[in-house]
Formats: sequence, C-alpha cells, structure tokens
Amino acid sequence: MSVQDLHLHIDSVSKNFGGVQALTNVDLKIERGSFVCLLGPSGCGKTTLLRIIAGFENVDSGRLMLDDNDISMMPPHKRGFGMVFQSLALFPHMSVAQNIAYGLKLRGVSASAQRDRVDELLHVIELPNIADRPVSALSGGQRQRVAIARALAIQPPLFLLDEPLSALDAKLRDNMQIELRQLQQKFGVTTILVTHDQHEAMMLADELVVMKNGKVFQSAPPSTVYQRPADSFVADFLGAANIVSAKVSSKGQIELLDRNFDVAVDHPVGTNINVAMRAEHIKLTAEDQAKGNPIGTVEFIRDLGPSTELVIKVSDERLRVRSDNATMSELKLSQKVGVVIDSNTLSIFRA
Amino acid sequence: MSIALSRNRMLAFSLPALIAILPFLGACFYIFRFSISGDKASIDGYSIKAYLDLMTPFFGRSVWVTIKLAFIATIAAMLMAVPLAFLLTSLKSPLARRILTVTILLPLILNLLVQAYGWILLLGPSGVLNSALRGMGIIERPIFLLFNETGVLLGLIQTSLPLAVFPIVSSVRGLSQEHLEAASSLGASQWRIFFDVTVPLLRPGIVGAASIVFAFNASAFAIPLLLGGRRVQMLGVAIRDMISPMFNWSGAAAAGMILISLTLLILVFSSWLVRVTSERTRG
Amino acid sequence: MRVGLLPNEGGGTYRFTMLFLATIGILISSLPVIVVTIMSFSASDNTGFPPTEFSLRWYADVIALFVNEDTSSAQSVVDSTLTSILVAVIVMVISTLVCIPLAYALVRGQRKIREGMELLFTLPLVFPLVILGIAFLLIAESLRVEIGIWRIVIPHLALVLPFVLRNCIGAMNGISIELEEAAISLGASPLRAIWDVVIPLMRAGILAGLIFALIISFNEFTITFFMYTIDVSTLPIWMYSRTVSSLDPSTLALSVFIIVADIVLIMLVDKLIAGRANLF
Repeated sequence: MSVQDLHLHIDSVSKNFGGVQALTNVDLKIERGSFVCLLGPSGCGKTTLLRIIAGFENVDSGRLMLDDNDISMMPPHKRGFGMVFQSLALFPHMSVAQNIAYGLKLRGVSASAQRDRVDELLHVIELPNIADRPVSALSGGQRQRVAIARALAIQPPLFLLDEPLSALDAKLRDNMQIELRQLQQKFGVTTILVTHDQHEAMMLADELVVMKNGKVFQSAPPSTVYQRPADSFVADFLGAANIVSAKVSSKGQIELLDRNFDVAVDHPVGTNINVAMRAEHIKLTAEDQAKGNPIGTVEFIRDLGPSTELVIKVSDERLRVRSDNATMSELKLSQKVGVVIDSNTLSIFRA
Repeated sequence: MSIALSRNRMLAFSLPALIAILPFLGACFYIFRFSISGDKASIDGYSIKAYLDLMTPFFGRSVWVTIKLAFIATIAAMLMAVPLAFLLTSLKSPLARRILTVTILLPLILNLLVQAYGWILLLGPSGVLNSALRGMGIIERPIFLLFNETGVLLGLIQTSLPLAVFPIVSSVRGLSQEHLEAASSLGASQWRIFFDVTVPLLRPGIVGAASIVFAFNASAFAIPLLLGGRRVQMLGVAIRDMISPMFNWSGAAAAGMILISLTLLILVFSSWLVRVTSERTRG
Repeated sequence: MRVGLLPNEGGGTYRFTMLFLATIGILISSLPVIVVTIMSFSASDNTGFPPTEFSLRWYADVIALFVNEDTSSAQSVVDSTLTSILVAVIVMVISTLVCIPLAYALVRGQRKIREGMELLFTLPLVFPLVILGIAFLLIAESLRVEIGIWRIVIPHLALVLPFVLRNCIGAMNGISIELEEAAISLGASPLRAIWDVVIPLMRAGILAGLIFALIISFNEFTITFFMYTIDVSTLPIWMYSRTVSSLDPSTLALSVFIIVADIVLIMLVDKLIAGRANLF
C-alpha cells in the first residue's frame, strides 16, 4: 500500500480490555480525503479502533499520528472529530437547528454565523425546511442526514461513523449509502466508517480494512480485497465464496475436485491447501459438453429474478453457484452438469 | 483520556450524597453502641445487661404481637396487591390509571394522623361501620374495632399496600402476554395459568415486595400508637414507652437492635429465597 | 383480550376473584380519606356518622386559626405550618442536589459499586422509624450547640434520599452514553456534556424527585414526633397535640387541605414520570 498524502497513521496500536485482547498491533496509514471502511464480524475490534481514533478509549501501546502530531493522549473533545453514532445520538431536547449548531456554539461562533452554517448544511442534505422541528418528528432517513450534518458542521479533520446505517431498512440503506458517498466527496473529508455489512463497505470504501479478532487481515481497495483476498477468512467474509480443500499435485498444478488445474503456487508439492472460488465465477455446462471438467449434480435451484442461485454437489463438495444466465433456471434437480472453473479466478491459501 | 468515569470523579460525584446520609449511619451506630452500654441513661462502658433485662414475658408478648400482626397484614396486603397490580397494568385510560395510582399511593405518603382520623371515624363506637350495622339491625350494641388489634391491622394493611403494589407492577410489566396465551393455547384454564405461569414468573417480585411490607409493618409506630392505644404493644410502641415514661435508654436501644435484626433477617432471607428460586427456574 | 392477567371478557371465577380483591384493596386505601373529607363538611360538633347537615363552618374555623393569631398556645398553627414548609423545601433542595451527581456516578460507574450504593441508600426505607427518631434525638441532645431547624431537616434528609435517588437513577438510566459522547465529539468537555445534555434530559425525573421529597418531608410524623421542641415543630405535630384527647372537626377540615395538596402533587409526579420509571 502506498500512501500519497498521509493524514492519519495508526501506529501499531494495541488495546486490552480486562484480559481480552481487543486490538493487536494494528497499523494503518490513511490517506487525506479517502473513505476507509473498517469491516469485520462483531467483536473483531473495529468499533474499539474507531473509539480509539475518536479518543473515547486510551491506547495501551502504539500511537495515533495526525499530520505528524501525536494525538494519542489528547482528550476527545479537543480532537474535534465529528462522529456519527450507531444510535445517531441526536439530542432529543434540541431542535434540528440546535443539534447542528451545537458544535459551533461550543466554539463560540456568533449566532448569525451559526444560522448561516445550519442553513447551508440543511441545503446540502436537501432538507431545507426542517430547522425548527424537534428531532422526534423526523423520519429515519431524515435523522440520519441530520446526524451527518451535525458532525460535518464543525468541519472536522476526520469524519467518523459507527455503523450509522444499521438501523435503516434495506431500501433506505441503499439510498443513504449513495448519498453518504456523495456528501463525503463533496466535503473531501477523510472518513472512517465501521460496518459489518460487506455490501455497504464495498459501496462506500476507497480502502477496505478487513478485521478479525483484533487484527487487520487485509487493507486494500475493495476490488483487490474481493478479487485477491489475503486469506480464506477474507474470501469467505466478502461475498459468497466456496472454500474447498485441495492439494498441490505437482509444480504449477493443484488437484481440485479430482481434477488437475494449472495454477501458479509457491507451496511445495503435497501441501494441503484451501481454494476460494466465487459463486459467480463458476460456470455450468450441459453434461455432454463438460470436456473433462468435473461433473456435478444439481441439489438446489432457485430463480431470484436477475440471477439464479444453485447448489451443485461435486465429489463430496457442495458448491454455491450464482449465474445471471437465464437458461440456468431450466435446470432440474438431480440433473448432471459440467462445472467449469477458470483457474485465474481461484484464490489459494495454505490449509 | 477516556470518557469512562475516573475513580476520582466518581468519588467527587458521590461525596455530597454520602455526607447527606452520614448522620443516618451515625444514628445506626449510636443505637448499637447505646444498646451495649453499661449505663441505662448514657453511653458508659460495655454490658449486655440491657439485652438480658428484655427477657421478660412482657417483652416476649410484644415481639409476638409484632410478628403476628405484621405477618397477617403482609398476607392480606399481598392478596390485594397482586390483583391491584394486574388492574393497574391493564387499565387503558391514562386518567383511570392515574386516579388508581394516586388512590393506592396516597396512604403511604399522606400524613399518618389524617389516616388515623379516617379509621377512627370509620371504626369508632359511633362511626360509619357501627352506624351502618346498627341501621341494618345486625347488631344492637356497637362492636369495638378501635384500640384493639383489628384497628391496627386495618391501618397496617392500608399504609403498607402501596409498598406491595408498585414492585409487583414492575414485575408484571416484564411479563409477556405471549406466555399467558401460550399456556392457554395448550389448554390451561385462567386459574391454571395463574398458578402455573403467572405466579412463578412473578415470584421474585412478590417475595421482594412481601419482605419489604413485612419489615415496614414490623417497625410500624404511628399506626399502633394512634389506632391501638396502649393496648396493642407492638415493638415500636413498646420502645417508645421505655424512653418515656421509663427513661430506659439502653433498654430502648437494645429492643431497637432486636427489631432491626428481625427486619434485616426477613430481608436477607427473602433475597436468598429469590436467588435460590430464580436459579432453579433458570435451570 | 380473552386471555390475560385480567381478561376483559369471560374469565369466570378467576376474573371475579381478582376484581373482588382489587375492590377491597381500593376500599381499604380510600375509605379513611373519603370519610375524613365527608365529615369535614358536617355541620354538627360531634363526629357521628352520617352527618345530619352539611356546612363549611369547620373550614371557616381553619381559616380563622390561620388569620387570627392565637397567642395562648405555645406553638401556633401558623408557625408550625411555616416550619413544615421551610423544612420540606430545604430537604427537597439538598436531597436533589446531592442525588443528581450520585445518580450519574452510579449509572455510569461500575456495576458492583452501584449495587452496594443502591443498597446503602435503600436502608433508611426499611429502617424502623422509631429507632431512627430515638437515635437522632439522642445525638441532638448530646450536641452542645442548638441546631434549630436542622434537628428536623437532617433526619428528614435521610428519609427522602431513597425516593429522590430512585427517581434520579430512573431518569438517568434512559440516557444513552452515546448522547454524551456525541456532545464530546463535537467539542464539549465531559462536564459541559453533562450540563448540556444529561441534566436537561433528566429534568422530568429531577422534578419528580423534588416533589416526592417535598411531600414526604411535609407529611412526616414519626421521626418529628421525637425531634420536635417548643421552638421547632411541624404541622403534623401540631395536629397530634390538638387531637390527642379527642377528634375535633376543624382538624378534619385542615386534613382535607393536606389531602388535596398531596393528591395534586402525586398526580404531578405521576405525570412527570409517565409510566417510564417506577414510583419507588
């Protein structure tokens, strides 16, 4: 990973909560103006990392460097990072305008300047007429946008979001993802978002950080993480991947599903390996056109509209296959099919 | 710098309240110290004579009356508190709920004298009850309900009822309607549901409430004083009589310690009971 | 609803028994107060029931008691009432001021400490009042200085702390720590965040606690019965000394004033906490 314009350097940060290692030697370099998503299952340490950046937790070891200044010991209210919380944490006793202006009021901004800034932000979030409404009168999507506006009002050097969209229903969440991305680009603010939703992370991130058990497993642009996962956990966590055990059969070849595939592998001959293949990378053919490819049996088939979802049993392994080929839905249960695997789409990890 | 409350700030925030409750703790200690004083009228030396002097039939009777009345009043209050809690939680109209809340809560808070006046007017020889019974020709001479155990019992039930109702209300709020419907769908009648599902689920709340009601009733003073006169010597009244007219301060303190032990014993026992039974239901 | 704690259709003997017991409970709770109220409007001098005629003469008597200073009695009803109100107000203010920070510390602090402290502050609720009265009396008598009104304020304070603290904790419980963190992330210091966010959101609970303290202190009889002196006495003590030998109807009229004030205040508390928290 090369960073052009380093904004925040998380320098080998570790954190322990009463004997539980929440973060182990996390080292990340975050580029100015980029959108970083921390992705992982619950308990992976992503929220702890965000709270450390915000200053709500101390680091046990390591440093946080913001533009070459060590901010590890700076109290959270002096950092001035806008944060959007999972519950949104809009102040229920204040109006929309008072919520957005709160950070400005703390900074001693004049009342008229506060009003101007509130108006400007309400226009940006396309809700120009709600300034005097109580927060309780807003819809879920409106609250979301107000929470974002409140954090951005103080022009924070870092914009932090802790699973902000998780409370929304699926359709609204999709729309908010696009809006959030557009807002972030408009403001050009360096943004760090925590999520457990891989689709959301792929939609938003310039840089995707996959975490598990307090460690960073991979940090790269989303397409790289998807195409070239660093290990089987990442491959499994991102999208529907089939993880199949295989063996290095000879130099440059692996034995997979009782067939040999030409793949560049570094492991010595005889090593047991895991192979990850994406559901949408597996092609199916009629049995008589298999041309030496493995033959499998259709165990499950479901037409989802834009795509068809299948489970194919091939020599004791069950493979999930997703195809947008319309003819697939004509396959029948128990029918034999040829399974075509492109060795270029395989990701290989030591077992 | 973490937002988590530092030990120092926690202490600073708690300090004012701790200072405010300090005189209470001082008073608790003072009573204990006086009860083992060697002198009847001042704290001087150590002796358990005050406790030994209490070993009289008179004091024994007082302990017995206290336990008996507190126990009966607790049972009676609980029998009414559970239905009242059900009624309070199932009322839909906020006004009706508010009126019922005030009706139940008022006896705990209202000046005890006013309530004693009410009972005197109700139960006295020419009171409401006697006039009504005489009017209906059921009795010829007034029956005596006041300045005996009946009057005290009614007063105790009335003033302790709110202490029983409100803890049960919060347990009832935690009860899911679906539990009852599940039992009903399996074929249980209303009574079966009540005994098989409702009561076991409410048991921690009921036991907790009953123990507080018992402790409250056992240490009652104003109600037995005003409604029982000299004839119903519950411990509270007996203790008062030791200091005035008898000026036996250490004896009063020792009797007080016995009363405190009695209430604490009940509270500890009930919390143990709740813990044991809830562990069993959790399996 | 056909199945429930109190089914509103069907239900047979179950429903009948529950409603019957609840009705008895309501009668026991309310009859004394109702009878006092009815008798206070009686026109006759004795307290026989039912009253043959109704009048407001006892209310006129009460007002006369307050207006025409009766110099013959050692402690006038006006002085007692003023002392009662003064004590109640001091108790209300102090108890609330000390309970707000404590409630914050307990809710945000460690669980273990919270349980211990809640237990400590519940003790006055179950502690026999007679003994407390005697103990405070002994301590006050052993002090070399005359502490005036504080001899009643300090015991009352211990008595109301459990109620006020419960109300403050109930109010504090509903306030998510994320709200405070949001204020801090926007630049508020931790104390400023408490002032700007926590205190305004606790307001209803704080008010409920204030009123609770006021009612309890104003109505308290047992401890004050031991602590009062010729100079410092409260309204309940005045009523007791007036009725110790026989019940006089003007005291009933005075009682009705107290009943009405209490009902209004309890209604207010109930509205403030609006079913969100428990009364105690």
